[in-house]
Amino acid sequence: MSKRVMVGIGVTAILVALAVYFIFPFYWLVIGITKDVGQLFQKSLLPGVPSHLRENIQRVFAYENGVFFKWLGNSFLYATVGSVTGVTVAALAGFAFRRYDFFLKKPLFILILGFSMVPGYATTLPLFMMFRDLRLIDTRWAVLLPAFVNVFGVYMMVAYFNQITDDMFDAAEIDGANDFAIFLRIAFPNIVPGFITLVLLSFVGSWNNFFLPLVVLNSRAKMPLILGITTITDPQGFPVYNLTLTASFFTILPLLIMFTALQRYFRPQLYVR
Amino acid sequence: MTSVTKKKLMTTLKAYLFLAPFLALFILMVIYPIGLGAKLSLYGQRGARMWYVGFDNYFRIFQDKKFWEAFKIPAFLLFVQVPLMLLLATIVSLMFETRKRSGSVFRFIYYLPYCIPGIVAGIVWSYIFSDSMSPLKPLLQFFGYQGEKLLTRPNVPLILLIIILWEFTGYTAFVIYSSLISIPREYSEAAQLDGAGFWQIAFKIKIPLLKDVLITLFIFNAIGAIQVFNEPWMLGGLVVLPNNYTPAMYIYSSAFSQGRFTYAAAMGMILACVTFVFSLWVLRTAAKQLLGSKS
Repeated sequence: MSKRVMVGIGVTAILVALAVYFIFPFYWLVIGITKDVGQLFQKSLLPGVPSHLRENIQRVFAYENGVFFKWLGNSFLYATVGSVTGVTVAALAGFAFRRYDFFLKKPLFILILGFSMVPGYATTLPLFMMFRDLRLIDTRWAVLLPAFVNVFGVYMMVAYFNQITDDMFDAAEIDGANDFAIFLRIAFPNIVPGFITLVLLSFVGSWNNFFLPLVVLNSRAKMPLILGITTITDPQGFPVYNLTLTASFFTILPLLIMFTALQRYFRPQLYVR
Repeated sequence: MTSVTKKKLMTTLKAYLFLAPFLALFILMVIYPIGLGAKLSLYGQRGARMWYVGFDNYFRIFQDKKFWEAFKIPAFLLFVQVPLMLLLATIVSLMFETRKRSGSVFRFIYYLPYCIPGIVAGIVWSYIFSDSMSPLKPLLQFFGYQGEKLLTRPNVPLILLIIILWEFTGYTAFVIYSSLISIPREYSEAAQLDGAGFWQIAFKIKIPLLKDVLITLFIFNAIGAIQVFNEPWMLGGLVVLPNNYTPAMYIYSSAFSQGRFTYAAAMGMILACVTFVFSLWVLRTAAKQLLGSKS
């Protein structure tokens, strides 16, 4: 065998080994939701026989009078409204940085970027105090309002708008278009793919955001899935492994469907989670 | 007033109209809370009563052993997990590059864990390592593992390493791969003509060109390491972990279990400063890249 073939086999072997590592938890989750607790304790790597999949799903859906569907609805509400609003606001701001030369432009940009790096744990606690004074604790606004600020979106929008030439803007201005029309008809249509990418990334970010709802929400009816599933217990307060697993599966299913269907929009960006 | 300054005033007005919604939300949801956190950190507190104490909280934090112990896990991640992941991801991205077309299935699979929330990753992996459900224990025993349990406190850092590598290695490899394929082909072709081998080209030509991407990734992951919360939080459901296992966990439990809000706020400010220092390099490069050429 030639050296090249050997190297090729070696590379494939490493890629396959790592693929097994990345796939394994998905596999274990999928077989896990076919089992009841007794079968989970058997530690097998095969699906449960007989399958309890249907029963697990029914029990998750029926849990606490169907609170699961409230969590699902909340997750969609927080993620959709949060991401679309946040990215739209970021697009307007990004346009200002791209199009205009204005007073305090550079310091403002650096200030915005600088604060983007401040960890959520430093802001969430004062946010909690602020929302408490405003009587917004345990309301949906407490989860939504912080999601409207998408600093990374501003940064990416400037990069997207930078790809549009000055000539295009100038031509529209000579034709007599006002500034908002230039944004709507020239700038925005040219960055739609980037807009979708940012909305998707921000959607996933909101869907997966655990810490903020953990701090600002108390009532289960307002929780998103990611927080709700961690509260599943039996009436005595003990964990119910098969239900938590099944609920986890339904938490990531929308993400997996979205990612598979819209793969070309999930271009890797240096996204801070 | 000259017409130049008049024009500048006009564009400034327009620019701030476009910026208004963002700035309003940014001030309300980011600047004001940070200011409030900074203010609170200077107050003493008992129940609902608060009084000004200057830098007292900070002095107490610097003497608080539990605060410094909380940095063991971030330090472990920073010095072990992050370098290991960057090395692994670079190797993987070089392997991706050798099969640009047939490798798309691998790239898809490798990227997939990045979509999974840390909480769900924590649930699934903690079950996989749990004593009652672990399918790995029989496997490890076959290879001579002697321990009674897998999910013990001394093993938690290792398990965190496995979880976090699982979550981010594929994504990181993808980011590096996208910069790799943007390197002009002529570079490596010229080196090949000069007789350089695969590894020589990789180390002497490609990796130096990836320097900026690797530094940026290192910084983002370092920041992530300082803030780690979700994964140990979920592991804490199956193995007893101290409330100061990571800085974020210590801040959370100080504020919400013990009700020491102002003390927690001061710890948050320290964490924010550390993070800010880490991120300076990224900020400088980003501002230069996006605005540097124009203003």
